Amino acid sequence: MKRYAYYLSCINESMTKEVDCSIELWQKDLGIEFVKLHEGTCCGGSNLDYVSPKHFALVNGRNIALAEKMGLDLIVSCNTCLMTMRSAKKKLDETPELKKEVNEILKKEGLEYRGTSEVRHILWVLVDDVGLDTIRKKVKVPLKNYRIAPFYGCHILRPSTVLGHDNPVNPSSLDQLVEALGGQTIPFKHKNRCCGFHTLLVAEQESLNVAAEALQEAIQAKADFIVTPCPLCHTSLDGYQSKALKQAGEASSIPVFHISEMVGLALGYSAKQLGIKRHIVS
Amino acid sequence: MTAPTDQHIEGTKDVTFRIFRFNPQVDSKPYFDDYTIPVERGVTVLRSLNYIKEHIDASISFRAFCQAGICGSCGMRVNGLSQLACTTQVWDVLAKSRESGIIKVEPLRNLPLIKDLIVDMDPLVDKMKHYSNWIDSTMPESSMGKKEFLISEAEFLRYDKATDCILCASCVSECSILRANKEYVSPAVLLKSYRMNVDSRDAIHGKRLAELVKDHGVWDCTHCYRCQESCVKSIPIMDAIHGIREDAIELRGMKDTSGSKHAEAFMSDIEKKGKLVEATLPIRTNGIVWTLQNLLPMAVKMIMKRRTPPPPPLVKSAKGIKIFREMFREMTEHVRQDHKSQKK
Repeated sequence: MKRYAYYLSCINESMTKEVDCSIELWQKDLGIEFVKLHEGTCCGGSNLDYVSPKHFALVNGRNIALAEKMGLDLIVSCNTCLMTMRSAKKKLDETPELKKEVNEILKKEGLEYRGTSEVRHILWVLVDDVGLDTIRKKVKVPLKNYRIAPFYGCHILRPSTVLGHDNPVNPSSLDQLVEALGGQTIPFKHKNRCCGFHTLLVAEQESLNVAAEALQEAIQAKADFIVTPCPLCHTSLDGYQSKALKQAGEASSIPVFHISEMVGLALGYSAKQLGIKRHIVS
Repeated sequence: MTAPTDQHIEGTKDVTFRIFRFNPQVDSKPYFDDYTIPVERGVTVLRSLNYIKEHIDASISFRAFCQAGICGSCGMRVNGLSQLACTTQVWDVLAKSRESGIIKVEPLRNLPLIKDLIVDMDPLVDKMKHYSNWIDSTMPESSMGKKEFLISEAEFLRYDKATDCILCASCVSECSILRANKEYVSPAVLLKSYRMNVDSRDAIHGKRLAELVKDHGVWDCTHCYRCQESCVKSIPIMDAIHGIREDAIELRGMKDTSGSKHAEAFMSDIEKKGKLVEATLPIRTNGIVWTLQNLLPMAVKMIMKRRTPPPPPLVKSAKGIKIFREMFREMTEHVRQDHKSQKK
């Protein structure tokens, strides 16, 4: 059983609880164990970095240091948390004076940021650590009747100098996961585009336009559902879907799944167990 | 086409350039023309276009000048990605083409089309004017020519990268928000604005910043990083955008915008609970009236699906919040000291 420290994203503790619930169901089936990091704090959601770059380094240096203390990699299931903490890690690793300043403060809690734990997305753990072959063998209910639109979102791809797992122009890890689960991916131009989440409260019209474009492509391509590795993308594409599509004059709708739910379905768990009924679009 | 002798041994590849065509004076809608030519390793997309124009079809229109990645004229979309035709090698693109042997060449997005691969840069120039993308000197005119400005290396390093911009508009073409609303300031203009704002020789950063924090300005950026990813000069454009925001919030007290209120809510929630209090985020960003008008129908659906974030008292603080808060406040003191020494 391979162990990881698991970062609790704010949104997965409030609006998208189904993400962590579904991971909890299947983690042991795939020979992995996520140890929840209850001491972890909000990463700053791609905002703290400019409100106060030093607090950003402290908060995320601490989040990573908590995992380092356990001797484990830090796994996240939100794209923005991933990008944010990897950015902080890069900054700390490249700026010795900042690292020293952060560590002086972290001493109070008996912590030290050393740079020994990686920050990784759960999608990467599934594809790289568990492995597609193992996943294929564990599938009980192949998703063979589904045409699936893989929506990666921004912060698992860009900036590539910080993320570096997939090719940001033509990413493939999510496509590979879908195929390992027996599903069929559709060619999806919006796979590496934006969901508009981060400006939903600041530039709502623009954000809804951005979301609507992705949704409409998937609808027109007759996908059965969209799948995303990010709960923020899910909120934009599912929670705001009716608003976005209404603005775009689109009458149809399309369900949006988290990767954790898609894995759960293929491993034989029910929609009810996985919390799929909590989605706004069914 | 010619290439260095040692590369001849690798031969040539037949490549089809599928070029976007549209002449608004004669065409009712755009179409694509295919041109297949042999291309050796090392040949760029621009050289291929020049070859096609010279030998096959002189009617194709595109902009190009320096052929060396310096002037920024030949920005276009090659297989969907905005880049300079003169620094993009055909074989490299070919290796990643979805359709074997075919390279699609299209004009930049988010700017009006003039003809074929040529877009109108005027909207971008107009925005540069609107956001005062130049230095208005702090030096009185009477002293000009008599004194020189001395700039520290540390200051120069703050905008060194930003000065690499050649206005090729690749970032403009890739911008998610500009695609949704053409009024948006655009990444290139934000980058230039940042570059001018951090220059100590400049006298109008207050005026510039006041424009930048208005509607369609710096707060409308949705952090998608497409601009930065497509930058042909690898400029960290998001750092510039974040730099303007940091300046607006921390140094100049321009906090009365929904963007800054939204960003600051993260800071205050992290300090108090270590967790984001999502339930009140819309109200703290836009006020109660906006929230009721815009989010009430969705809130009802969310309640029915038990999807609403918990009310503030029920948001559990992160474990060990007491010591976390102390550390957070210690850093606040560090930042205060930094600002004091910067002002000196």
